[in-house]
Amino acid sequence: MLVTAQLRPPGKTIEVADAHRVGDLLARLEVKPSTVLVIRDGELLTDADELRDGDKVEVRFAISGGAAP
Amino acid sequence: MSGRHSPPRRPRTRCGRCRDKAVIELRRHSVAFCKDCFLHYCRQQVTKAIDKYHMLAPGDRILVAVSGGKDSLALWDLLLGLGYQVDGLYLGLGIGGYSERSGQACQAFADARGARLVTHDLAAEHGFAIPEAAAAARAPGGGRSTCGVCGLSKRYVFNSSALAGGYDVVATGHNLDDEAAVLFGNTLHWDTGAMARQFPLLEATRPGLVKKVKPLYRLAERETAAYCVLTGIDYVIEECPLVAGNTQLRYKATLDELEEQTPGTKHEFLFGFLDKAAHLLEAADDATLTACTRCGMVTQQPADPDEAPVCAFCRTKGRLSTRSLPLVEAASG
Repeated sequence: MLVTAQLRPPGKTIEVADAHRVGDLLARLEVKPSTVLVIRDGELLTDADELRDGDKVEVRFAISGGAAP
Repeated sequence: MSGRHSPPRRPRTRCGRCRDKAVIELRRHSVAFCKDCFLHYCRQQVTKAIDKYHMLAPGDRILVAVSGGKDSLALWDLLLGLGYQVDGLYLGLGIGGYSERSGQACQAFADARGARLVTHDLAAEHGFAIPEAAAAARAPGGGRSTCGVCGLSKRYVFNSSALAGGYDVVATGHNLDDEAAVLFGNTLHWDTGAMARQFPLLEATRPGLVKKVKPLYRLAERETAAYCVLTGIDYVIEECPLVAGNTQLRYKATLDELEEQTPGTKHEFLFGFLDKAAHLLEAADDATLTACTRCGMVTQQPADPDEAPVCAFCRTKGRLSTRSLPLVEAASG
């Protein structure tokens, strides 16, 4: 199975094989679950949610920096 | 039927409040929520923050500082939803396409809700933009960092704009992660004066100052991002192109490592400080305030009694307006 993950920011796209759950995907991407949201078709996913072959998900980093307003 | 390579089935994560399918897990609270219960949680946390520190009163005219990012737009939405009278304030920083998109996001948010957005422009009103500050910071002699000038400019304009508009309170979107990172930096440097002022509420202690509040301090930034996704708020996801090397980002990365191993670390660090230590530092906030001789806004009294008091913003403005520096490339973004 193959899942396409778009990392935003910066907008980079990565294909990941055999990630059956969201938690697996984040581990493969070496991304801390506490720093991102995973979105599929506009819906938020939890680490335990299953992924399907051909899924396209957005891994959205929620960390921001600089001078907050 | 499971295929040969399929993982064993695991039950879906359930909402800790209603048992519906969860859409987000909050490891620091050991709980998961469905959409409706998560939105309820966000409103509850903001209400708790407002009540605990008496941040807002019915009838207050509130000015929420918005950048187009997740935190400030989530805050504006939450305060409007809770029934407060809230206008937005956007400051154009002159960071090329990034600033244009940020301003557009704020305006679109305001238009969709029939809310009022007050806009200011740093270059048009004060003669410099943030890319010039970035160039100055990299030049010999340096000076205040890019993010330092940006934060200083925002604080100055938010306060002066709120005063001019007759607002009672300025609300900012600082979240739990922001506050924990600032506290981490202040602690590393034992900046007790800054720690003494690091409260979710800063009262207007003298004429010329407007009350400042941080109603999101109980929500992590992943939670404010989730709030925006779940409520359809179209915020600016891209990072500021000038943020590279920002110290606060390094502190956040360090705290994230600790949080990953021990969920709740940031929460304990910040809330422990606010509940147990902050009051011990009140005496450290010993700054004597006076009026800036250039703009009339409140500033610290210089140590030398013969020195004319000039606020940090006017000093920075004077320094940047007299330099001739190439703008950084990010300005074309």
